[in-house]
Amino acid sequence: MYKSILLAMLSVIALNAADVREIREDIEVPYISYDIKMGEHFDAVQTSCLTCHSFGYIVNQGPQSKAFWRGKVEKMVVHFKAPMTDAESADVTEYLFKHYGNGQEK
Amino acid sequence: MQRRDFFKKSLVVAGAAAIGTSLEAASLPKDNAKVSNIAFPQKRPMITYSDRPPLLESSRGVFSQAITPNDQFFVRWHMPEIPTHVDLNTFRLKVNGEVKKELSLSVDQLKNEFEAVEFTAVLQCGGNGRSAFTPIAGGIQWGNGAVGNATWKGVRLRDILERAGINKEAGWVGFNGMDNASYYETPNFVREMSLTELDDHVIVAYEMNGEELPYLNGFPLRLIVPGYYSDSWVKMLSNLTLTKSYQKLFFMDVAYRIPDNECECEEPGEKNVKTKPIKKMNVKSIIGYPTNNTVVYNNSHVTVRGVAFDQGKGIRAVLVSVDEGKTWEEAILHKDTLGRYSFREFRYSFKPTKFGKQKIMSKAISKSGEEQPLAENIKWNHGGYKYNGVDVVTIEVV
Repeated sequence: MYKSILLAMLSVIALNAADVREIREDIEVPYISYDIKMGEHFDAVQTSCLTCHSFGYIVNQGPQSKAFWRGKVEKMVVHFKAPMTDAESADVTEYLFKHYGNGQEK
Repeated sequence: MQRRDFFKKSLVVAGAAAIGTSLEAASLPKDNAKVSNIAFPQKRPMITYSDRPPLLESSRGVFSQAITPNDQFFVRWHMPEIPTHVDLNTFRLKVNGEVKKELSLSVDQLKNEFEAVEFTAVLQCGGNGRSAFTPIAGGIQWGNGAVGNATWKGVRLRDILERAGINKEAGWVGFNGMDNASYYETPNFVREMSLTELDDHVIVAYEMNGEELPYLNGFPLRLIVPGYYSDSWVKMLSNLTLTKSYQKLFFMDVAYRIPDNECECEEPGEKNVKTKPIKKMNVKSIIGYPTNNTVVYNNSHVTVRGVAFDQGKGIRAVLVSVDEGKTWEEAILHKDTLGRYSFREFRYSFKPTKFGKQKIMSKAISKSGEEQPLAENIKWNHGGYKYNGVDVVTIEVV
């Protein structure tokens, strides 16, 4: 019994010695709250966008045309396989253009 | 602004639009993003565009020295799921596909069973400086700080592949890291390289500036491809797969591409432009000191410090102008001790003799004769890639 405890302790020490690391536990990536505008279809934005990326991607993009935002949403669906319905895509595009648009269709 | 001025300005803008000439396609990247008050693991507080995935930018001041400290080195991930713990006892780099024998290597094995190589190389995001482009190019609006320079230590990729034994038919090597998307169907951030592109400078690094790699820079292993933009430098590298032919990949075939023409440019909205991967970096200099709005005394000695780099041809000269680009003088280049892929430090001393705003401009020239263009001469591309305009800071002389 004592022997096995001792062995177990020794193996822990040995493991730690082999694992010469600056960080041995999990790192924690902090959460940052990005100042995002509220409005119609925000719920769709929350469910569709946040799964993969923060609102930082939206607020740091700069004002853009409707075609630009539509293209971005399409890219998320076509290339990144976001499971969004056509209606959700349209709602999210609408929201993005309204709050982060430059007023131009193209 | 007076009403009359406003109309005058609108007319100019409307006129330019009507005859179809764009105004400027690029000006200076933004330089006023605030450093966050929240620090990420192993980092000092940095400019933070996103927390998931983490996107952190270095501030200009760091570019007054050749080596970028690990805790101020920029961070750019593509996928939201990054391992927050890697156990070196179980971590293995796998080598498979068109090989004679598959390998599964621990970091210790890489350190002990292979020849270690070490060199200094610049790592830069292809979208560094994107905020300079007009109309705004899609993507994170980086300022000047999505770039850094570090000394990397590791193992030649060629040595690893040789141990596995490459099958005759193999033509490509694919690189995959441990970051994952939220959805199973989302393409992984996989890169490929033709075996013909491979040289002895491509290494699998386990050390950065004499320390283990910070998690956010790719602990425990990162692919180092000097001279190439950072989309080729796969982080948390866990898999090398040899294939006969090129596999279709989102991050090679769709993202990180520029027009395949001489100016690498296009008109906004242009359709069906043939594109190519961004690959190798163009020549660039960045001023680290002074920074914008630094206050100096008239008639005092000001020493401008900065760094210059290119894809590995080496830097021939850095020119500095303190008279809005009318005359240029050669800066003093620091001794070339860190190799051709590294930042090369420069310094230039002058005495401001006029009160008020004072512009300082820097322009790098590579050994192959490539010269940094003025921002206003840079043409547009849809991804906002490869911005390399002459750097400018404006200080205040009192």
